[in-house]
Amino acid sequence: MLVQRNLCRSRQFQLLWRSFNSHNIRGLREATQDKRWPGWEVVVGIEVHAQIKSRKKLFSDALTSRPGDPPNTFVSQFDAAFPGTLPKLNQKCVDLAIRAALALESYVQTRSTFDRKHYFYPDLPAGYQITQRYAPLAKGGYLTLSKHGIPVRIIQIQLEQDTAKSTFDARRRESHIDLNRAGSGLMEIVSEPDLRSPEEAGDYIRSLQALLRSVGSSDGNMEQGSLRCDVNVSVNRYGEPPGTRCEIKNLNSAKFAMIAITSEVFRHIELLDSGIPVPQETRGFNEDKAETFKLRSKEDAPDYRYMPDPNIPPLLLTESYIESIRQTMPELPDAQRARLITLGLSPRDADVLMTVDAGREVGFDGEPGKGAVAYFDELAQGRDPKLVVNWMTHDLLGQLSARKETFGDNPVSVLQLGELIDMVQDGKITGTSGKTILRHMISHPSDLSPSALVQELSLGALASDDSLSLRTWCAEAIEVHPDVADAIRKGNPRVLNRLVGSVMQRSRGRADAQTVRATLEAMLTNDH
Amino acid sequence: MIARQSTKTQLTRPNYLRTCGISTECSTRRVLDTKNVTVNAMVSFANHTPKPAAHSRINNLTVAVKDNICAANLPTTCSSSMLRAFTPPFDATVVELLKNAGADIVGKTNCDEFGMGSLNVNSIHGPVINPFKTSEGRSAGGSSGGSAAAVAAGICDAALGTDTGGSVRLPASYCGVVGLKPSYGLISRWGVISYADSLDCVGVFGKNVDIVNDIFNTVSVFDSKDPTSATAEIRMKADASIRHSLPHFDENQAEPNLSALRIGIPQESPPHSTSPEYFPTELDSTILDSLRRVIKRLQNLGATIVPVSLPSTPYALSAYYVIASAEASSNLARYDGIQYGRHVPLPVGADKTKPAAVYAYSRSAGFGNEVRKRLLLGTYALSADAFDNYFLQAQRVRKLIRSDFNAIFRAPDVLSSLSALAAPTDGVDALLHPSAIQSAPLLPPPKRSQANADDNKPTSAGSGLDTYLQDILTVPASLAGLPALSVPAGSAADGWPVGVSVVGQWGCDDLVLRMGRVIEKGSA
Repeated sequence: MLVQRNLCRSRQFQLLWRSFNSHNIRGLREATQDKRWPGWEVVVGIEVHAQIKSRKKLFSDALTSRPGDPPNTFVSQFDAAFPGTLPKLNQKCVDLAIRAALALESYVQTRSTFDRKHYFYPDLPAGYQITQRYAPLAKGGYLTLSKHGIPVRIIQIQLEQDTAKSTFDARRRESHIDLNRAGSGLMEIVSEPDLRSPEEAGDYIRSLQALLRSVGSSDGNMEQGSLRCDVNVSVNRYGEPPGTRCEIKNLNSAKFAMIAITSEVFRHIELLDSGIPVPQETRGFNEDKAETFKLRSKEDAPDYRYMPDPNIPPLLLTESYIESIRQTMPELPDAQRARLITLGLSPRDADVLMTVDAGREVGFDGEPGKGAVAYFDELAQGRDPKLVVNWMTHDLLGQLSARKETFGDNPVSVLQLGELIDMVQDGKITGTSGKTILRHMISHPSDLSPSALVQELSLGALASDDSLSLRTWCAEAIEVHPDVADAIRKGNPRVLNRLVGSVMQRSRGRADAQTVRATLEAMLTNDH
Repeated sequence: MIARQSTKTQLTRPNYLRTCGISTECSTRRVLDTKNVTVNAMVSFANHTPKPAAHSRINNLTVAVKDNICAANLPTTCSSSMLRAFTPPFDATVVELLKNAGADIVGKTNCDEFGMGSLNVNSIHGPVINPFKTSEGRSAGGSSGGSAAAVAAGICDAALGTDTGGSVRLPASYCGVVGLKPSYGLISRWGVISYADSLDCVGVFGKNVDIVNDIFNTVSVFDSKDPTSATAEIRMKADASIRHSLPHFDENQAEPNLSALRIGIPQESPPHSTSPEYFPTELDSTILDSLRRVIKRLQNLGATIVPVSLPSTPYALSAYYVIASAEASSNLARYDGIQYGRHVPLPVGADKTKPAAVYAYSRSAGFGNEVRKRLLLGTYALSADAFDNYFLQAQRVRKLIRSDFNAIFRAPDVLSSLSALAAPTDGVDALLHPSAIQSAPLLPPPKRSQANADDNKPTSAGSGLDTYLQDILTVPASLAGLPALSVPAGSAADGWPVGVSVVGQWGCDDLVLRMGRVIEKGSA
């Protein structure tokens, strides 16, 4: 095991080395023709800012907030840059960023440092943002695009503070500052310019989002702004050196990123076709017009006056600490699917569970969310995994979706469902009763055990010696359906099922269908 | 109702005590206020009833706090127009520790704006008048001039200051009191308004070494709120290595035997300089006489006096001003007039397109000359073109200065894993040098308008490069984060007090204080 880990480590080194070596060799990829712009090559790199799913902020004790929270209610004195306050690194944020780095096969540095990036803006109360300019948390690594299957190299991963949010009230002509987000932890994940189309860029963003969610580092919620992208685009004719790149800032969804890149590519081609060189610029994206617009030129690029932060000591991580994070982090999607299939699940069942899992709430500070796979794993302890997954996918998920609810709404505990499955397996209740009880548990959430519910709903399987009840129900069925009984007596056994159904209804599913059938047959042949 | 009022901390401005209720504290404060009128050391008084702490050595001791250290419900102005109306919502850790130990926090002391200055003239509260002889109109030194003067004038038993490049040791020397700048990281900076984080230290003033020692021991505690606070482990490691390598002597005896003690005097002249490292040409010769008397006495008690060389000292001053100004430009970026602090409304037609242009109105009005000068210097030092040649170069010099000290001290540097091996066995236990190049200088004549008005005319003191040269003696210990204590050591030819400074290895604050006691006894 230990040897394997070391191998893993040395692989990281190799990857890092390779990525450094190939840094200047663009065109690792074969040139592919794009119908939209034949003869042109598009080169894209992406910088993702992902909010760390930590309970508290990166350097303060204030809780992290959600976009809908009342403004300025999640703010400590440090977040508001009060004089006399000092930062204190939240180790939970570090741990979650290490998870992301490990998931990306990035090399976690045993020493990283924090720097201040200065600029004056109302959403930055201290006048600087604490980031990792000179020695980032992790270097190298790659992300495999889930649709295209292409590996995209990662340059580095760094920790930094999020800014506050400023909005402009045009009617009152007032700027509003909400410090709730100020100082929340971000991971900045920078890719090499390895992407070659808007679709690959979209795939990259979605794949990264899924990966971060699976390890619990970020909920990757782009609608709520917990994952934001800056995209670098350049265009060149095939065989020619790379074009001038433009950066498009602050894209809030994979879809918008793709639209923005497409529009930017056409803009570059138009310029180049008319013999005008593309000026290096930072651009914004207008979602309504679906086009980019100039924010500032290279000449206007601000001098951020980076300075090592004199308050925050270097972040020192031992190899064994990094290893302990690796050992305790949730398994990656590929490994998880393989494991589920090894347990005997069909690929389809594994995909159902994992798809349900992908939509789960990501827990704070890396706490495992209430996911379907975790639920399955717990439920399958000491039970047949195939049986368990059937109960989960067919009955539990089926009944939840019939109620238009998701797995997140599931009120049935692993303990409850486990006992229910066991009771059916042991013949204490019939499968039909089991499904009835499950439906009841979902519609009437409680802590009651299934056995208590069996009592309460009188759904216990009919004891095999309880022939009196059985005979009574059979007699009643015959009496209520005389024509059916007659048909059987006249030698038409196919209609027997109607009587069986009637008896089962009377027993409320508690009777065993085979016994009912035998009893009915005996009664109908003997009463001559 | 009265009882309730007296337990509540209330602010009263000096000279405006009419709002006080009837309580003994207030009458005491009235006496203090009278004492303060001529020296201008205090900028606000607290009406605070100390919580008794029977077993504390500082129970009921009156302590004043420099106005750049936060105390809840007391304005903390940093002597800046920017924070004239700022009252922090919390106590600095040091203030909290003092209160819990039963100290009576009497109020806030005058200082140079944000700690920048050596004469305590860069203040919206006006200059502090040295209490030794108020009629002469001399400076109390800076930047913690109010704290030193408050102790010297008998307004309080002890005072907290801050020392970034000499701001405790210099005023202690000018005012004739004891001033300690402890090892960097021993006293929490939570609630201390940053000037230059990597250099800022909370310091302690007292009439004598014992009081300073008691206050220091009360506040020298690890604080999880300060990421640069020395951990309990490091403190223990320092204690252990010091006990192992440092000499024993009994500072409580009248004539202690110092034969095990080795004291270094920095004096060799570097080849390209005309004056010895700690004895610049600007040094008043009569200052040297008092230093010689101290050395003579220590020698008589058996101490070995060793000439030592700190070859990087000539570069210390430049490195200090680059680093301190760079950090200041960063730390003071938060004063934009938006959330708190002075806000200047925009004039009609002002450019509102860039936030920096909007902030410029508040920042230009809120900061005084000296602060503006340093912010500009620091901003330049951090700019992309200058960063390597200024900021990084200064950091290299800082490392050299640290290794200069490690090369002469017998005690190892516990903060560095390497130097334990390098500490010389024939090294010294402490250094001795004059605290200041002169006795208290005259205050510049009153300016046309207020203290912060533009005025670049040369004056008797506080102008040109003299004020910076003074720092030659004090900045090396600041850059290296070492403990340094200024103890009164007689007087200069003009009859005004002068101090000598004892500097030790990091964590040797106790040794420095014990040596201070020996020197104090000789000077008494």
